[in-house]
Amino acid sequence: MRPTNSRRLVFQPGSYASLQSGANQIVNAIRPTLGPLPRVVAIDRILDTRIPELLDNGGTIAKRIIQLRDMHADVGAMYVRDCLWQLQDQEGDGTATAAVIFQSVFNQGVRHVAGGYNARRLQTYLEEGARLVLAELTRMTAAVNGKERLAQAAYTVCQDAELSDLLGEIFDIVGEYGRLEIREDSGRGLEREYVEGMYWEKGLLSRELIADWTRVRSELEDAAVFISDLSLREPEDLLPILVCALKNERRRLLIIANEISDSAMSLLLANNRKPEEFQVLAVHTPGHGAEEQAWFLTDAAILCGGRPYIREAGDHPRGLRPEHFGRARRVWASRENFGIIGGRGDPRMLRRHIAELQQTFEDSLDVVYRSKLEKRIGKLLGGSATLRIGGVSEHEIEERKERAERTALAVRGALREGALPGGGAALLACRPALHERLRQAADDEEAAAYRILIDTVAEPMRALAANAGYNPALAVGEAEAGGTGFGFDVLRGEAVHMTEAGILDPASVQKAAAVTGITSAALALTIDVLVHRPDQPARASVRPPSKRKRL
Amino acid sequence: MAENRIEQDSVYGLAATPDFLEGGRCFAARASGLYVSSDGGRTWRDAYRSLALKTPLTTVTVALSPQPAPETTVFAGALGGVLRSTDSGENWLTATLPTPPPYVVAIAVSPEYESDGLVFAATMEDGVFRSWDRGASWAAWNFGLLDLNVYALAISPDFGRDETLYVGTESGIFSSTNGGRAWREVPFAMEAAPVLSLALSPGYAADGILLAGTEASGLFRSADRGASWQRVYEWDGDSAVNQLVVANTGSGSWVLMALAGTSVSYSRDGGSHWRSLPAAASLDAAPTCICAPQGLAAGEPLLLGLEDGRVILAEIPDWQA
Repeated sequence: MRPTNSRRLVFQPGSYASLQSGANQIVNAIRPTLGPLPRVVAIDRILDTRIPELLDNGGTIAKRIIQLRDMHADVGAMYVRDCLWQLQDQEGDGTATAAVIFQSVFNQGVRHVAGGYNARRLQTYLEEGARLVLAELTRMTAAVNGKERLAQAAYTVCQDAELSDLLGEIFDIVGEYGRLEIREDSGRGLEREYVEGMYWEKGLLSRELIADWTRVRSELEDAAVFISDLSLREPEDLLPILVCALKNERRRLLIIANEISDSAMSLLLANNRKPEEFQVLAVHTPGHGAEEQAWFLTDAAILCGGRPYIREAGDHPRGLRPEHFGRARRVWASRENFGIIGGRGDPRMLRRHIAELQQTFEDSLDVVYRSKLEKRIGKLLGGSATLRIGGVSEHEIEERKERAERTALAVRGALREGALPGGGAALLACRPALHERLRQAADDEEAAAYRILIDTVAEPMRALAANAGYNPALAVGEAEAGGTGFGFDVLRGEAVHMTEAGILDPASVQKAAAVTGITSAALALTIDVLVHRPDQPARASVRPPSKRKRL
Repeated sequence: MAENRIEQDSVYGLAATPDFLEGGRCFAARASGLYVSSDGGRTWRDAYRSLALKTPLTTVTVALSPQPAPETTVFAGALGGVLRSTDSGENWLTATLPTPPPYVVAIAVSPEYESDGLVFAATMEDGVFRSWDRGASWAAWNFGLLDLNVYALAISPDFGRDETLYVGTESGIFSSTNGGRAWREVPFAMEAAPVLSLALSPGYAADGILLAGTEASGLFRSADRGASWQRVYEWDGDSAVNQLVVANTGSGSWVLMALAGTSVSYSRDGGSHWRSLPAAASLDAAPTCICAPQGLAAGEPLLLGLEDGRVILAEIPDWQA
């Protein structure tokens, strides 16, 4: 073994010791938050009031730990932080489970490598084991339907009965792609609201277009829709649209454009003086940037059955024909938003378009792109839900909103991929398959890998029981004695059949947590040398990790 | 066979209380309004007379709540709203739907109406409206309903437990398993749509059988709650399957009756084989709707609405004959 003798380079065994030290610090900070009876982590707030932030969510705790004083240990801590951050962004939950799995695999792996096992071979076998665990969890996964089941899945994430019930109801209605907006509210509790049709976060181009000042919005029935990203800078640009509408008896018109100049708007307002004869609304083209606007134009054209007028294609309203207008049963617009209810496009085309978007969503690995696609699909599905979060203090509202957001992400995952027995029972139930593989192990590293995993799959249940004040070994023993599907219900203090007791975990979260924990620990075992850059900044960057989906 | 001509316009929909032959009521929805008979269909009168309408109110569909008379509530679907009467059609309360006025083409009342008060109205261009207060107020519930041109609405006989509904639309079929609050696409071939009629077997809770009548592609059947479909029958010519009626025959089996094109046929094997209904074969006008208020057991009454405005009272034949 080479000695640790450089300020910038750390060799074995110092590199393992440093990684372990850093990883153990961050995992030990997260570990108490696992389970329905978690303990809270207080984080000093440097930037504002110095009132500590009280957290029971592993992902947020990991995000808050931006640097350890020991620069060598910091490498291990930041490695774990990056893995957990990605998991949090991707699944909304599962960080504490992944953290304890990481710790168990890494610490046991280090002992084996120190004892002469080959780290690279151990990594290979651990990754094989991770695939086996994934296969076993997939086998155990059951679909989640109905608001009660969804509420149960939500409860395991947030341990907030009122929030869980509402999210169960909301997702039962809006579905896995449905649009849900979570907003802070001035009230004391939780409120939900369902909005018919689809709407976009762009509003009227002029306040003069507001017809109903009580509700600060305008509505049109049976409207023609001019869909574009054009800038209508001169009255001559607007005129063909108005003429075409009037000539063809389209007496209600919604114009969607990037810009309407003051002079063109004057023409529009002049034509709007007798709304009983002719009424026009004009709204901004939604979307930030060319790509999002192009998506909107495509979606709106399919939804309303019109032809979009596109600036980049050199389109001008001079070429407008009546069949280029889209149609909608109702449209509405306010200063901030506009909406379409009952677009008159071809429903077959709309269904095919949504199916294509869903397929693209399934195939994509990019978390940001998936999120945009999800919002796009959600809009087209024809309705949205808003969950308003109130509370007695700003801090409570903020904390509950954050909890609602990550629970919503996990419930979407449960809708897509189903649910597993909760409380670590599903992971524990992987043990027979791992034992079988251990019996067939061909070499020492393979046997070691499966021994590590057999112990590790019980670790989340142990941590959960310990956090609730129970003897971890006894809890796991009781659960195993109960048989398949049994776990330890820390609220009742006894082994129960988790599915029958309604204790469920979103399958996507559990799978992602297990795979993240095992594979990132396996990879960490192959790290031999730590190199610090000479220009290491005084404080680590708080930039989020890359947003690539890992699975 | 009794018959009575009430006006010259087509009968769009029929509904009758099980005791309509013994003092109960039957209703006929027409372009010229809603008509009611209290003598088994021998004489008819304007059911909307208490409304003193200046112009006829075209009524496309009529449905009854499942309570026994006189507690029965009558729901009539018209252009722009749903009317309801709690006194057998004497007086009416109206509930308007959001403008522009949609055509209500089908109404389904929850089998558990007495306790849940749920009523659903399908519309031509605005999807499905849902009322949870016995028809007093309505709200559009179209989450996931990607096609708002709805032609047919069918409710599970076990709705109190499974909360299942289906709608047939211009482009296919959608289902709801949460009491009409959200809809999901059913994998039905879009090429075979529009779907004009739907029916669930009386034992749907156990057998999961669902039938869909299309405009031009015949009859389709699913035995797994819509997960997969088979075309089971296609009538000759341009025969749109406008209505499907399913009911127990009283001997443990069920019969499917279809109004396809201008013929009324029945099937005793879930739609694979069909025979013409004798009572309809000899009619001199095309039937437009059918109603079996007491089910499809042999000897029970069957009402047939015709395109020339008549309502014919026939008898269910002996299925074994």
